[in-house]
Amino acid sequence: MAVAQRSGGGYLERPAPSGLADVIDIILDKGLVIDAYVRVSLIGIEILTIDARIVIASVDTYLRFAEAVGRLNLQEADQSQGLPELMENMTEGGSKSKTRGALEGVKEKVGLGGGDDDDDDGGRQKTRTRRRSRRDGDEDE
Amino acid sequence: MSEVHVYGVVPAAAQPELEGDEVRLIAHRKIAALVSDMERGDARAVTVLRTHWRVLEEASASTTVLPVRFGTVMADDRSVVEEFLEPSHDAIVAALAEMAGKVQLTVKGFYEEDALMAGIVARSPAIARLREQVRGVPEAASYYKRIELGQRVAAEVERTREQDAEGVLERLRPLAIDARLEPPSTPDSAANAAFLVEESRVGEFGKAVAGLGRELAGRIRLQLIGPLPPYSFTGDQLAAGERAWA
Repeated sequence: MAVAQRSGGGYLERPAPSGLADVIDIILDKGLVIDAYVRVSLIGIEILTIDARIVIASVDTYLRFAEAVGRLNLQEADQSQGLPELMENMTEGGSKSKTRGALEGVKEKVGLGGGDDDDDDGGRQKTRTRRRSRRDGDEDE
Repeated sequence: MSEVHVYGVVPAAAQPELEGDEVRLIAHRKIAALVSDMERGDARAVTVLRTHWRVLEEASASTTVLPVRFGTVMADDRSVVEEFLEPSHDAIVAALAEMAGKVQLTVKGFYEEDALMAGIVARSPAIARLREQVRGVPEAASYYKRIELGQRVAAEVERTREQDAEGVLERLRPLAIDARLEPPSTPDSAANAAFLVEESRVGEFGKAVAGLGRELAGRIRLQLIGPLPPYSFTGDQLAAGERAWA
């Protein structure tokens, strides 16, 4: 399906269609709403929903941004030592993200990549192929 | 107890090729709902989301699909007909006609962090000054200054993102029938824009995205996702006649 197209020069990055993680925010909360529907209770839906939304305004984020600008031009390895622990103490179980890049995504937390669900990727692969062949000619750019 | 999970709606005349036996169609007059039976209470969200995505992808390979909001469950086939297909029939027929031959393409941009931060420091003397003040100072001693620095940077990131997202939207809008910005989906998001595009122009659109990607290289990486069912462009029509929803 969802093809993350990549140009020869690599200007369109994030090459492999990494799958669900790339489209989760596209899918959630979109589409027709039926008046009389029941919202199904699904295991882990809160986490999916949270991870599709980013929360910028937190002390956690500010410290990571501060670290990111502070790190510019200085590549000392230990620059971020101490900060993760500090942040862990401050965030009250909400954000679990640790320092890496300040802008590092939250996708890893969902575990969309593997092992987290029992659905195999076979169907998706085939679909992708079909879609591709349907609009051939536009990925040679 | 079994319930009916509703994924989307297609023209009744369509015979979408669906893998797996679990997904079936409930047809009513000119439209049909894509559904599967589900036992109550034991489903993992990730699995169901993947199914939702796959079913709509598969159906959209051969016909027009309107997505139904993820997680929609109805009691049985009869309620699907009586509470969904029948009352919304005309609106859905109209929406399907409107979406025929069109697909959604989503363009996401992601910042190169160092380039973004360097740009922000270069543009803002206040940030550059604060940055010098906290550098080399122990964490504990500069805690509040670091937060202040971070807040200023966050505001700049936000401002930059608004500009960049708008830039991507306006640049590609001429190739689309409709376009809208979606909220950033990751902290490094520079743009998250959905475009409704004629199927015949998908290739042209892809080339435009590649061209824009070349211009932005080094600062923003672009990702093109699709063709997709019209997730971001479904619902407005029905909402008008029924209840408003965000």
